[in-house]
Amino acid sequence: MDPYQGRRWVIILILILIGLIFIFRLLFVQVLNTKWSDRAHVITHSEKSIQPPRGLIYDRNGFLLVSANQVYDIMVTPREIGEIDTVELCKLFRISKNRFDDKIKKATSGYNVSYKASLFIEGMAKDDYAKISTGLRKYKGFNAIRSSERGYPMHNAAHILGYIRKISKKQYETHKQDEEPYFKNDYIGITGLESVYENELRGKRGKVYYLQDYKGNKKEKLEENQPLLGKNLHTTIDGPLQSLGEQLMNNKLGCIVAIEPKTGEILSMVSAPSFDPAFLSGKKFSKNYKALSDNDTLKPLINRPIYNDSYRPGSIFKLVQALVALNDGVINPNTGFICNKQIIGCHLHEPPMNLGIAIKHSCNPYFYQVYKRLILRGSDPSVFKDSRLGLNSWRNSVEKFGIGKQLQTDIPGVKKGLLPSVEFYDKWYGKNRWAFSTIYSNSIGEGEIGVSPLQMANLAAIIANKGHYYTPHLVKKIGDNGSKKAEFLEINNTDVNPKHFQPIINAMEQVVLNGTGRSAQIDSISLCGKTGTVENKSFNDHSVFIAFAPKENPQIAIAVYVEYGTWGGTWAAPIASVMIEQYLNKKLSDKGLKKKNRIESAIILSKKSDFSF
Amino acid sequence: MARGKSIWKSIDKYLLGLFVSILILGLATIFSSTYEGDSISLFDFSTIYGKQFIWVIISLIIGVFILLLEGQFIKNMSYIIYGVVLLLLIGVLFMDPIKGAKSWFQIGSMSIQPSEFAKLACSLVVAKYLSSVNVKIQDAKTRLIVLALLVVPAFLIMIQPDPGTMLVFFAFIFVMYREGLSGNVLLSGFFAVLIVVIAIFLKASETENLIFGISITGNLIFAFVLLLLGGVIFIVIKLLVLPRYRSSKYKALIWSVLTGIIINLSINYVYDSVFKERHRTRFQIMFGIVEDRRGDGYNMWQALSSIGSGKALGKGFLNGTLSNNKYKHVPEQSTDFIFCSLAEEWGFAGCFIFILLYLALLIRMIMISERQRSKFTRIFGYSTVSILFFHFMINIGMVIGLAPVIGIPLPFFSKGGSAVLTFSILVFIFMRLDAERKKVLR
Repeated sequence: MDPYQGRRWVIILILILIGLIFIFRLLFVQVLNTKWSDRAHVITHSEKSIQPPRGLIYDRNGFLLVSANQVYDIMVTPREIGEIDTVELCKLFRISKNRFDDKIKKATSGYNVSYKASLFIEGMAKDDYAKISTGLRKYKGFNAIRSSERGYPMHNAAHILGYIRKISKKQYETHKQDEEPYFKNDYIGITGLESVYENELRGKRGKVYYLQDYKGNKKEKLEENQPLLGKNLHTTIDGPLQSLGEQLMNNKLGCIVAIEPKTGEILSMVSAPSFDPAFLSGKKFSKNYKALSDNDTLKPLINRPIYNDSYRPGSIFKLVQALVALNDGVINPNTGFICNKQIIGCHLHEPPMNLGIAIKHSCNPYFYQVYKRLILRGSDPSVFKDSRLGLNSWRNSVEKFGIGKQLQTDIPGVKKGLLPSVEFYDKWYGKNRWAFSTIYSNSIGEGEIGVSPLQMANLAAIIANKGHYYTPHLVKKIGDNGSKKAEFLEINNTDVNPKHFQPIINAMEQVVLNGTGRSAQIDSISLCGKTGTVENKSFNDHSVFIAFAPKENPQIAIAVYVEYGTWGGTWAAPIASVMIEQYLNKKLSDKGLKKKNRIESAIILSKKSDFSF
Repeated sequence: MARGKSIWKSIDKYLLGLFVSILILGLATIFSSTYEGDSISLFDFSTIYGKQFIWVIISLIIGVFILLLEGQFIKNMSYIIYGVVLLLLIGVLFMDPIKGAKSWFQIGSMSIQPSEFAKLACSLVVAKYLSSVNVKIQDAKTRLIVLALLVVPAFLIMIQPDPGTMLVFFAFIFVMYREGLSGNVLLSGFFAVLIVVIAIFLKASETENLIFGISITGNLIFAFVLLLLGGVIFIVIKLLVLPRYRSSKYKALIWSVLTGIIINLSINYVYDSVFKERHRTRFQIMFGIVEDRRGDGYNMWQALSSIGSGKALGKGFLNGTLSNNKYKHVPEQSTDFIFCSLAEEWGFAGCFIFILLYLALLIRMIMISERQRSKFTRIFGYSTVSILFFHFMINIGMVIGLAPVIGIPLPFFSKGGSAVLTFSILVFIFMRLDAERKKVLR
C-alpha cells in the first residue's frame, strides 16, 4: 500500500549511526584518553604557597646577629585597577607619574601578567605603611602583604653573615628542577652564612590547594601542607667582641681572627674595611651594592681573613720553623747561633744564646741557620738533591699546621695559601737549578710563603693546644636543638711532640714581657705572642701579631694583620691585647680603654705615612 | 471522566515512560547545573531551576489538556496556529533586542520565544498539507509549496537573527524523504555536506604540495580527484548499465561532478574572501588543526575538559566542579552546554544510558508513526522525530567537538520555557493522535 514504508529503516539506521559516533567519541574523551580530564584538573585546581619565615642568626651568647624586621610589600593586579585618580595615588605613594607608569608596565611584562599580583613597592617599613594603609583601601587592585626583611641589631659581621637578595633569573632557572624550586620573588642567600646554610635557613614552603571558579576565585579548600620553618643558626661568633674588633680596625686595612683553641670555634673574624650589613638589606640593595663594589677602591666586599692568602706571615713563621726543627731533632732548646747579619739583616739585641732568646728578639740570622739545618741534612752529596729532600720533608711537617692547605671551614671562598714545594721551585727555576741558598728567605716567613689570617690564628690555636687543632668554624648549632657538624669535632694533629711546645710558649711569653711585643701587655693576664713585620719593598711594612691567653688553659687565640702598619708591635700587638682583654674579662681596664681609643682614632689607609707611637 | 479513562488506556505507555524519564533526567541535570548549594526552592522564579520546574509543570498541564482534545480539532487548527505563529514572528521583530537578537517577547519576568513555536506550527502545517487529498510529493508544485511553508518562518527567524533555530528547518528533509522524496536528494545532500566539509578542512589545514615544481593547494587536488572519480564511474556505467538507461545516468553524473567541483572551488573563494578571521579560526579549532583555550576555542576547551573529567563513572550528582553555577568554567552551562553537566556528573556510563534513552524515544516514535492509518499523524510523528533528532545531533555534536559551535538547545535539558513547552506539546499531540488511531481511517 505504502511503497516508502521501508524507508523507516534508513532513518533508524541514521539515528543509530549518529548515536554510535557520539558514544565512541565520548569513550575516547572520557575513558580512553586522559588528556581532557588532566586539563580539567589544571582548570579547576589552584594552589597557594605559604612562605615560612627565614631562620634567624644568633651569636654564641644568644644575641641576635640577624633578626626579622616586619615590612609590607605593596602588590598590584593591573587588570583590577579600573578607573582611578592616578595623581592622588602617586601622591599617596610619593612617586612620580612616570614612575607609576613604569611600575604598571613592569607588572604586565616579562613573567608578570596583568591578572596576577606583582610587586609594586617592596619592603615598606611598618611606620610608613601605617600612614598609607587607610588611603590604600579605596584602590582596587592594590593590596599589601606582610613580609619580613633582614635586620641587623648589632650592625656587625657583614662578611660572615653575607647577604640575601631577590633571586636572579639565572639562579631561578638553575634551581627550577630542584625538589623545592624558588619562586620569582623569593630571596636567596648570596654570600657568607646566608649562602652556605641557605637550605636550612630557608625552610620549606607550605601549600594549600583550592578549587577555583572561572575567574580564579578560590572557592573550596581541599588540602593543606604546613610549611617547615627556616632553622635558626647559632654561630660561634661573640657579638660584642666582633663589634669591638670592627671598631678597632676602623679606618684601617687588614683583619682580626680570634679562635677558641679548645674547640676551633671562631669568636671573631674582622675584615677591614667593613660595612654595616643593613646596608645590603631590602630595597636599598642595588644602590648600595654598587657603591661597595664599584665605587670603593678599598674593596670592602672582600672577606680578607679567608680570601686573602697572599699575606706573607713574616716573623711569626719562625715559631713553625722552631717547632719543626725541635721535632726533627736538628736543634734543641739550648742551641745557639751567632747573630752575624751577613746574609740576612737583624736589629740590635742580646746574642741568641738559645732558642728562647732568638724568639724573644725575633732574630733573623738564627732562623736562617735553623732553616738551613732543616733543608740541608746531608742525606745526599749533591746540594741540589739534598735541598729537594729537605724541602719535601719540611713541607710535609709544615702542612700539618694547616698552612698551604685549605681549612674546610663552613664559609665559602677559603683560600689555601702558598707553601712552596719541590715542583713549585722546579717550575720556577728548573730542576736541580735551585738549592737552599735560593730559598732561604722562607726561613723568616718571607719569600714564597703565603698564608691567610685564618691560618695565622689557627697557628696560634695550635701552639695554645700544644700540637693539635680543630678546623676553625662559624656555626655551633643548626636549629635551636641542632648540633655541630661532625667534621668540626674531628681533631687534627701536627705530629709535633707536645713537649717541644713548652720552650716556644715560654719564649712567646717573653716576647710580650721583654721582647718585640711589649705593647701587648695586659696587667691581669699572662699573654703569649709573637710579632711579625712583613717586608713591603717600597711601602710601609705590614704589622702582624699572633697570640693566645691565658698562658695556662688558653681561652682565646688571635691573629691580627694591619696592612702598612709597620712593626708588628706598633698596631697589631695592641689590637690583639684589647681583644683578648675584652674577651677574657668581658670589660676593659682604664689602660685597655685608653689603648682602644688611641687605636680606634688612628687612620692607616695610605701605603706610606708617618705615625708616631 | 469516562473519556479521560479511555484515553489513558489507549496512550502508548513506552512512549510515555521514555518521555517522562527524559523529562526527569533533564530537570535533575538543570537543577545540578544551576544549584549553588543554598536552600532548595523548586517552584521559585528567582532560580533558574525553579523557573524550569514551573515551565515543566505548565507543559504537563497543557499536555493533559491536549490529551483531552479531539484529534480532528488539532488538525483543523493547523493553518490557524501557523498563521498566528507567523504573526508572532513578525511581531517579535519590533521588540527590543536581547543579547543582540530580537527573539523574545518580554512579559514580566517571563520571556516567550515564538521561534520555538514555529517548529510546532510547521510540523502541523506540513502534516496537514501533505495529508490532503490529491497532494502528491512527486509533483514539483507540492514540493514547492512545502518549501514555501518552511522558508517563510525560517527566513523570519534568520533575520532576528537566530541562525541556530533557523537551521532546524532542514530537519524536515527526513520527513520529506519518508513521504517519498527521491532518495537521491538525501544522498546528494549528504555528499554535498561531505564535499563542503572536506573542502573546508583542506582549506583550513592550509595544505600545499609541490608537484612538478608548481605549488598546488589541497583544494585543487580535491577537484582533480572528483574529476577522476567521475571518470571511473563513467567507465562503470558504460560497462554495467544497459545502453538505453545510460544517457540519463551520464547526465546525472556530469551534473554531480560539476556541482561538486563548483562547491569545492567556491568554498575556496568563500573561505578566503567572505569568512572573517574568527570564522576561519573556529573551523581550524573544530578540525583540531589549532588548539586554542583563550579566544574562540574557549567554549570548546572548557566543555571537553568538563566532559573528560567525568571519566567512566562521573563525579556524582551535584559534585561537578566545572559545569555548574558555582564554578562556571563551562560557559552557557545551563543552556547550550548542559550536556557537560550530565557528562561530568554521570560519566561515560551516564552518557551511554542517556544516548540509549534518547534514541529509544525517537525510534519508538518512528515505530508508532509507522503503525498509523492516518497520514497526518504519521507525517506529524516524523516531523517531531526529525526536529528532536536534529537538535540532539547538532547540540551534542557541538558540545563534544564534532560540529561547529551553533547555538541550539538540547530538548528537555537546556533551560528555556518556550522550548520545553514546544517539545512537550509536540510529543503530547503525537500521543493524542496515536491514541485515537483505531477510530480514524485517514
